[in-house]
Amino acid sequence: MKKAKSTKARSQEQQNGHALASKFAKFLDPEASWDKDNLGDVLHWTRQGLGLACGLLWGAIPLVGAFWILVFLVLSSGVIYGYYTYVLKIDEEDFGGHAALLQEGLFASFSLFLLAWILVYSLAHF
Amino acid sequence: MALFSFLYSFRYADSLMVVGISICTAFLCEAISWLLIYRTSTYKSLRSSIDKASKKLDSMKSTSVSSASKKPSSSSSSASLSSSSSSRAKKMDRVETSLKDATRDLSLSKFKSGAVVAAVLFVVFGLLNSLFEGRIVAKLPFAPIPLVLKMSHRGLPGTDPTDCSMVFLYFLCSISIRTNLQKYLGFAPPRGAAGAGLFPMPDPKTS
Repeated sequence: MKKAKSTKARSQEQQNGHALASKFAKFLDPEASWDKDNLGDVLHWTRQGLGLACGLLWGAIPLVGAFWILVFLVLSSGVIYGYYTYVLKIDEEDFGGHAALLQEGLFASFSLFLLAWILVYSLAHF
Repeated sequence: MALFSFLYSFRYADSLMVVGISICTAFLCEAISWLLIYRTSTYKSLRSSIDKASKKLDSMKSTSVSSASKKPSSSSSSASLSSSSSSRAKKMDRVETSLKDATRDLSLSKFKSGAVVAAVLFVVFGLLNSLFEGRIVAKLPFAPIPLVLKMSHRGLPGTDPTDCSMVFLYFLCSISIRTNLQKYLGFAPPRGAAGAGLFPMPDPKTS
């Protein structure tokens, strides 16, 4: 009995593992089908991750000067554009055009970037 | 206690205090919103009707675009095509108005919890103001433009533009933390809601 249960538990784990792997595979699969909502969510969270990472990096180095805000905006928009155009290969007309896609989560990620940059800069260098 | 003394060894440790209070406030506001609105059945039904209506509208728009591109072969079929397209336009109008009504009801029902959340934010802002009035809580790695400077240098002594006051840090915290928390918990406003954009455009048909 015990052995049967353990094999069942292991197959359960594998299933979860597969489910998780297939979930992440979708993020890199050009054939995957997207609708407006879950593509918007993926782009939103990607942009938040970029904002946080750039904020921490800019603060740690530290990069000083308003010019680096511009660099962040151009860099994060470029990565988002490259992601949905070359990795997901979606047609932006189906999702409201570039403006809608590039605007997804922009303001929240910009303030997250500024927050992380200011915090790390203030705490690490003074 | 060692943690506190370690944290307070940083010169700008106040910034951590501001961020900590902002995070707690964000969770408190979402808990209030959940209690007053998001768990109620009216909100859930409104939310699902908005999602359904906006998906139906999207699919109707995409089918009407694809059928319009096909050239009508003969005059009789073009007559039937124009009658079907006018009935489709009527159906689309009906879906659009139901979407607008549901969106309006949604924002009305959110009014009560919005008022309580605004009161909480007001109290927390007063608390932060009393704690950090006139104190430099962080150092800005850039010199802000005059518009931002008004907020980032509010109530601070001296003229160094890179000194940061609590108001600016709290502003950044509440935008990034609350927006993302709402998104994570699924309380963010539905994307399809009519006029949900930053500046809802006046609807040409009604004006």
